[in-house]
Amino acid sequence: MKNKIILLFICLFLLCGCNNYRELNDLAIITGIAIDKADNGYEMSFLIANSPKAQTSSKEGEAKTTVYSGTGQSLTEAAKAIATESPKQLYFGHVNVVVISEDIAKDGFFKVADWLIRNTEMRKQFYLMQAKDEKAGNILKIVSPLESFPSQSIATLIKSNRDTQSLSIDTNYTTFVSRALETGYDPVLPSISIEGKVKKGSSEKNLETTEPETYLKLSDIALFQKDKFVGYIDERGGQAINIFNNEVNELRFDFEYNDNLMGFSSANMKTKMNIKDINTIELKVSGSGHILEVDGEIDLTNTKIVKEIENALETHMKKQLNQTIEKLQNKFKSDVLGIGRQMFIKYPNKWEKIKDEWNNKYFPKLDITIQTDLTIDGSGSLNNSIEEVQS
Amino acid sequence: MEKINKNVEVLVKEIRAAYGNSGDLNTRVIKAGDINIGVFFMESSSATANISDFIMKGINFITSKESAFDDLYNALKNSIFNSQVITTKDFSQFPYFISSGFTIIVVDGNDEAIVMETRAALDRGVTESTSEPVVRGPKDSFTESHAKNLGLIRKRIKDSNLWFEEVKVGRRTQTRVSIAYINNVADKKNIKQIKDILNKIDVDGILDGGNLREYFLEEESFFPQILSTERPDLACQSLLNGKIVILVENSPFVLILPNVFMDFMHTTEDQYQKPWNISFTRVLKVLALVITLFTPAIYIAITTFDQTVVPDKLLISLAVQREGVPFPTFFEIILLMAIFEILRESDIRLPSTMGASMSIVGALVLGQAAVDAGIVSPIAVIVVAITSICSLIFNDPDFMNGIRAWRFIFILAATFFGLIGVVAAGLVWIIKMASLNTLGVPFLAPFSPLVLSGQKDAIARFPLPKIFKRPEYLKQKNRFKQGGKHEK
Repeated sequence: MKNKIILLFICLFLLCGCNNYRELNDLAIITGIAIDKADNGYEMSFLIANSPKAQTSSKEGEAKTTVYSGTGQSLTEAAKAIATESPKQLYFGHVNVVVISEDIAKDGFFKVADWLIRNTEMRKQFYLMQAKDEKAGNILKIVSPLESFPSQSIATLIKSNRDTQSLSIDTNYTTFVSRALETGYDPVLPSISIEGKVKKGSSEKNLETTEPETYLKLSDIALFQKDKFVGYIDERGGQAINIFNNEVNELRFDFEYNDNLMGFSSANMKTKMNIKDINTIELKVSGSGHILEVDGEIDLTNTKIVKEIENALETHMKKQLNQTIEKLQNKFKSDVLGIGRQMFIKYPNKWEKIKDEWNNKYFPKLDITIQTDLTIDGSGSLNNSIEEVQS
Repeated sequence: MEKINKNVEVLVKEIRAAYGNSGDLNTRVIKAGDINIGVFFMESSSATANISDFIMKGINFITSKESAFDDLYNALKNSIFNSQVITTKDFSQFPYFISSGFTIIVVDGNDEAIVMETRAALDRGVTESTSEPVVRGPKDSFTESHAKNLGLIRKRIKDSNLWFEEVKVGRRTQTRVSIAYINNVADKKNIKQIKDILNKIDVDGILDGGNLREYFLEEESFFPQILSTERPDLACQSLLNGKIVILVENSPFVLILPNVFMDFMHTTEDQYQKPWNISFTRVLKVLALVITLFTPAIYIAITTFDQTVVPDKLLISLAVQREGVPFPTFFEIILLMAIFEILRESDIRLPSTMGASMSIVGALVLGQAAVDAGIVSPIAVIVVAITSICSLIFNDPDFMNGIRAWRFIFILAATFFGLIGVVAAGLVWIIKMASLNTLGVPFLAPFSPLVLSGQKDAIARFPLPKIFKRPEYLKQKNRFKQGGKHEK
C-alpha cells in the first residue's frame, strides 16, 4: 500500500509535464497594444518592453523598447503576423495601455473589444485611449525623457493629469465597456496626440536634448455614443464632465472678476442630479476651494468682496457648464452624464418607450438647469494681493 | 550477581584478567600481618594523589593498631576519610566502579568490598556558552561533567522538589542519564513514560544526548521535537514551566521535552529583556521563517508559471536580468542553494584560522564572479542570500535543517506546479506540523489548538508580572507560577 502511494506521488511529478512552464527570458513582455485600421482589416502594433537593449540602456540612453507591427484581416491574424516576427513568445499578461485609432472608434469599439476580453492572459484593467490625428501605432513609438517605457509614460501622463488637474478621464477598459453596455450612459475616452515628428520621437536622440523635439500630449476628450466615436470636446469640457460625474480630485481654473483674472482651485466639487420629471433635470454643483492667483488690487480680507468674488465664480462656472451641456446635447448627442440611467431608475416604464430614441430625440430636448453653490474658504499663503499690500 | 572471591590474590588475578592486563589498572596488595588488603583503582580516571593521601595513609594507620585486627574490614570502612563509602557484594559491578575512578578495597576473608569515591576531574571548567551566546543573561554553560551539570541546575532551583532520577544506559558505556523535573509541577505520567523508554534501550553505547534522543518520542519529521541546549538557565526555565530535562553524562547538551514549535523560535534572552521589544523581535522571526521557507519557491513560481502576479516594472527588470543566463530558473536556484549549504557545512568543519579565506572565496569568487560571468542572474543571488540570512536567525541546528528540507520541498512543488504547488505544499507542511505531538502536547500549541493563556508568551511576550500561569498545554499539576494557589 505504501509503495503504491509513493508510486502515485512520483507519477504526480512525471506526468504533469510542466504544461504552462515558461522561462522569463523566453517571453516578449507586451506592455502596450495599438490597433489601427488597414486596407483589408487591422494593423496591430505591440510594444515589447524587455528588449535585451534595456540591460545597457540605462547607461547609454538607448531606446529600451521595441515595437512590432503586423496586419491581418482579423486581430488574430494580425497578432499571428507579429508572432512570426518576434523571436520570443508573446506574453499579454502585463498589457498596460491599449491605443485605438479614430477609425476603429468610429466603426465601433466592440468590434475589437471581443479579442481583448477573450484573451485569458490579459488583464482587464489596462488604460484605453484614442489616438488623435495620428496612427495609433505611432503613439507607442514615442520615447519620453521622464519615463523609461512608452506605455508607462502614457499611463502616468493620464493618471497625473487626472489626479491634479481633473483634465483627463482615466478610463480603463472595464469601466469603458461596462459604461458602454449600460443603459442610458455613454462613455468617454482620453485622447493622445503627438507634438513633433514621429521619426525623431522614436529614436534615442529624442532623449538627449533638454527640450525634446517630439513628445506625447494629452489632447481632447473623445465622446462616444455607446461604442461609437462622435467627436472631441476640449479640456474645459473634460473638466465639466468630470465635475458632473463626481470624479474630481483637484480642479484648477481661472475666472474674471471686475476685469481682474483670478485663479481658483477646488478639491471637493460635487454634483447632485435632481430629476424633476422626464423632461426636466436640475444639476446642483457645489464645492469650496481657495484662491490660487490674484491679478490686481483686491482686498481679500473684506467679506463683502469675497462674496462678490464667489458670485463671479459661480457665474463663470455656470457659463462653462452650460456650454458643455449645450455641446453634449446638440452637437454630440452623447449622454456622458448618465442621465438616461437615472431616468431608467426613476421611470422604468417610460424609459422603455423612449430608450431607443434617447440619444437622438429626447436627450437633446432635455431641459437642464444648472445651479452652482461655490464658496471660497481660503486665499492660500497670502491674505491680500501683492499690489494691495504694497499700497 | 557474581560473588566476590574471598581470597584477595585470586581476586587480583580475576580483575587483571577482566581488564586484559591494561597498563593503567593498579592492583595494590598490602600485607597486614597474615591478611591481604587489596586496593584496586584505575590510574587514568582517578585522583591518585587523593588515594595516596587518604586511602593508603589510612590503611597504614589502621593496620598499625593491634585492636583493628579484630574486625579489619569494618575498621577500614569506618575510619578511612572519604565522603562517599559504598559497599558491594557484586563482582560484576567492579568494572563500573574501577573505570569511573572509584577505589575498591577488599580484605581477605570478606565477600564484601568497600568502594570509595576518588574520581579525577577529567573535564574542563564551566565556560561561556559558545553555541547559544547571549548579550544579557547568565553566561555559564553545561560541561561534560555530570556532577557539575546537576550542580548548575541545583544551584538555581533550591526547592527540594527538584528531583533527579538516574538511569544507566548503554551495555558498555554504562552512561548515567538523569531525568530532572520538579516533583509537584511536572506530569508524573510523562516521567514514567520516559523512564520506561530509557530502560528499554539496549545498545552498546550512548555518548551524547544526540544519541539518546533518537530512541524516543520523536516522530518522523524534518523538524526536531526535542530541544537541546547548553544553557543551564534555559534548562531551569523549562523545569519551572513543568517540562522535563534529561542530562546525559559526558554531554554538555541537555535535552528538554516536551516542546512546541514556538519554543524553537524563542531564545533564553527573551526572558531578560524588555517585553514589547522582544515581541517585535519575535514578529521579525516569524517573518524570517516565512521568508526563508518560501522565497525561493515563490521566486521560481512567479518567474516560470505565474508571471501575471508580478508588477509590470519588476517583471521587466527580472526579465532583463535573466537575459543570457543559460540555466533554467529552478536549476539556478538549486545550484546556488547547494553552494550555500556546502559553504555553511565547510565553515563549521574548518578550523577557525581558515575561516576568513573561506568567506572570501564564498562571497567574492562564487557570488560576484558567477554573476559577472553570466552563469547566474543577480536576482537569483539576492533570493538565495536573503533566504540564507533569514535561516541563520534560528540557533537550533536541527530546526535550521528542518527548514532547509521543507524549503527544498517547496522549491520542487514550485518547479512543477507553480504557485498552486507552493500553496498545496504549504498546506501539507501545516498539516504535518499540526499532526505532530510529544508526550501528548500538540506541536503547534498554543495556536492549534488555540490556548488563549498561552498567547501571553508565544509571538507576543507579556511582561512577566502579567503571566500568572505556566503554559497550560504542558498539562502540569500546579498551574500558577505567581499569584493564585501556590502549592508547596
